[in-house]
Amino acid sequence: MAVAAVHTSGGIADHIHPEPQGFIRRYVFSIDHKIIGIQYLITGFVFLVLAGLLAELIRVQLMNANGGFISPDTYNEIYTMHGSAMVWLVIIPIVTGGFGNFIFPLQLGARDVAFPWLNMLSFWMFPVAGLLLFSSFLLGAPVAGWTEYPPMSLQGGVGTSMWCVAIFLVGVSSTLTGMNFMVTILKMRAPGMTFTRMPLFVWAQLATAPLSMVATTALAAALAALFMERQFGIPFYDPARGGSPVLWQHMFWFYSHPAVYIMILPVFGIISEVLPTFARKPVFGYKLIAFSSVAIALAGFMVWAHHMFTSGLAPYLQLPFMILTFTIAVPTGVKIFSWMATLWGGKIHYTTALLFAVGFLALFTFGGVTGIFLAAVPFDLHAHGTYFIVGHFHYVLVGGSLMGIFAGMYYWFPKFSGRMLNETIGKWHFWLFFVGFNGTFLPMHWLGFLGMPRRVAEYDPQFQMWNRVESVSSFIMTFAILLFFINMFVSMRNGKKAGPNPWGGRTLEWMIPSPPHYYNFKNIPTVYALPYDFSEPLPYKGLEDELNDKPPAQLAGAHH
Amino acid sequence: MAVASAALDAQHHEPVDQLYAETRDMRLIGFLFFLFSDVVLFSSFIFAYLYLRNSGQGWPPQGVPRPDVALAALNSAILFGSGATMHYALENWKHGKFFRYAGFMIATIILGAMFLTGQVVEYTALYTKEHVTWGGSGIFGASFFTLTGMHGFHVLVGVFYLITLLLQSVHGVYSKDKYFGLTAGTLYWHFVDVIWVVLFSIFYLI
Amino acid sequence: MDIAQIERILAIAGGVIVAVVSAIALKNDWKTPGLDNTVFKVMLALLCFGALLAIFAGAGFLGTFPKAA
Repeated sequence: MAVAAVHTSGGIADHIHPEPQGFIRRYVFSIDHKIIGIQYLITGFVFLVLAGLLAELIRVQLMNANGGFISPDTYNEIYTMHGSAMVWLVIIPIVTGGFGNFIFPLQLGARDVAFPWLNMLSFWMFPVAGLLLFSSFLLGAPVAGWTEYPPMSLQGGVGTSMWCVAIFLVGVSSTLTGMNFMVTILKMRAPGMTFTRMPLFVWAQLATAPLSMVATTALAAALAALFMERQFGIPFYDPARGGSPVLWQHMFWFYSHPAVYIMILPVFGIISEVLPTFARKPVFGYKLIAFSSVAIALAGFMVWAHHMFTSGLAPYLQLPFMILTFTIAVPTGVKIFSWMATLWGGKIHYTTALLFAVGFLALFTFGGVTGIFLAAVPFDLHAHGTYFIVGHFHYVLVGGSLMGIFAGMYYWFPKFSGRMLNETIGKWHFWLFFVGFNGTFLPMHWLGFLGMPRRVAEYDPQFQMWNRVESVSSFIMTFAILLFFINMFVSMRNGKKAGPNPWGGRTLEWMIPSPPHYYNFKNIPTVYALPYDFSEPLPYKGLEDELNDKPPAQLAGAHH
Repeated sequence: MAVASAALDAQHHEPVDQLYAETRDMRLIGFLFFLFSDVVLFSSFIFAYLYLRNSGQGWPPQGVPRPDVALAALNSAILFGSGATMHYALENWKHGKFFRYAGFMIATIILGAMFLTGQVVEYTALYTKEHVTWGGSGIFGASFFTLTGMHGFHVLVGVFYLITLLLQSVHGVYSKDKYFGLTAGTLYWHFVDVIWVVLFSIFYLI
Repeated sequence: MDIAQIERILAIAGGVIVAVVSAIALKNDWKTPGLDNTVFKVMLALLCFGALLAIFAGAGFLGTFPKAA
């Protein structure tokens, strides 16, 4: 019991679940946060492929000005499903459920999340919701875009109601995950890990969790009302019966603007881990990065109506929403500059993960700047509903979130699987993706300026040349993602063995074997300082036995 | 849970209580977060109601009467009374007075059921006398029946929840020191009360 | 005396009882520490406020009454 003398509170930190027995308990209905995280990642990537193929159908259709590949009705279904699936079934589950579940309890020095059973429940709602959403194709998928504005969404087929139920389910899952993460971060930090010693990825999750909790519940109300109106004829949104379509826009954007930060804040966390590790340098402005996440999360609740400048919003409301939206650029800019200062003068290792992180910096900043354009009322009135918007949000969601997800995958794949991803394929993946991405989405900005409306199956022939450039570039991007999946499949079995800490990372997840034991840590470590001071010795005590064959003290005690 | 606590129990007693105390704290915070998200759900519908009410059609809309304040005031007093009895149920449990606890619990359950009965009476009166329905009375039906119905559903769930807790405590699930389930039940019931304070004000008083 | 008046009198009586009882409970609990008790105190205060609303509504100070049938 000598090792246990390091830390024996006898509390939750020393508690180890019984080892899961059998395939089902171990890999299917697992309560282990690491398995659940990987389940989220796999499911999310499956939906990424499906929603990505939908995007390619859109691009094939737009090769010709007069379309002709699919009918306009099918086209409506396809872009609606592409947007809904990408937001709710790909990015949000991957960045919160996937990376969040796997990484942050390890970084906290915890053995699991606060409520493991609830975690399993949240996960299993997500594939069910995904299947429900995609099966709406069989009954006439929703056609009103991922925002489902009434009155159009009141006129669609049964699929729209299925859309409501599916998104409601993902929402409940996301809310439960948010609560679970909040409690975990508040109560399960390793001894000595004060809030200002937490890794930045944990800070990012801490800022995201309340957004998932509060905003998603508001969305649940909006969806429930839409469902009731469609199925039972309860007049909330139909103007002919006294309801208000603008009410939906308020309720929807009160969720969906914070949702933008649910999609990006965890990615900020990933970037904040990747950059210092590969620059071999303490992260610049730790507290600035940490607190600006919280500031963004709080401010995110006060800007939703900037999506509604063309919906007849009163001018005295437009101005404050415009100014508040501008102010969000301040904490975001603080982050961007802190990351650049982290790289500055560092001994940079050009790994694939770092390339993706730097690519993220460039592309996300670009998308952020066009976001500032759009926050200005006069500009927004001009660009609203054009391809400029499409270009803008693909820069922040694909160039931002998806690039960050790839950075995180190349960084943590060794921890997930115990094997390295192939760096050569990885670099091909990065460069093809980067070029294909810009070729696809950059021309959208000027097409938007020239007045090409979004969500149309056919368009003016003068836009055809740039649309063809976009389509060809999008095929390159898809090929790059194909390379990524090939890389994962090959490396899972044949990749180089990673060892516990292939990158020389300093956060707690790198101190234990890859993949970690089901109990994570043999002894809960004590934390003395921030993890990022590369010139100092590691600020942990009690990790001596992590890499040898001794069983943890609790299990050894149980045998005697 | 059983394996690890048994292992620790074999050594000395204190760690088990430590585990309970920490688990209790986490469940308390988690439960409060759950209630908070429920508050957000209600707030969203309340926002929708106030938005529609102020959308320039006048309130109540043409052909719809105001709901009956007298019945609602009585019903509110009943529900708030159940909040007070619930509070004393928990207080008595903390002091180990089981029979007084059980009496207050039963009183709470009965008062909750009375509130639901009152709501059924109110809905029936609205439907038979004034022909007000959920879907057929414009934004009044939509907001009034959705919000009060949602609240009524929470009360119904709460009544069954309290019955479960009472049965559990009879079967010795909770002890004088370890009674988090009862704390959670009390929190939930208070939450249902407090939501009604808001709904009562916005539907009947303004 | 019609039903509405009986309801109003009962509402006032019930409201008074609840307001007094919850105020006493709040006073007794005032110094209990702990997160759960803090929440209980807020809840009791709101309960007391709600009971006052019920009294005022019963007494006719608040809320508009439907026309006598």
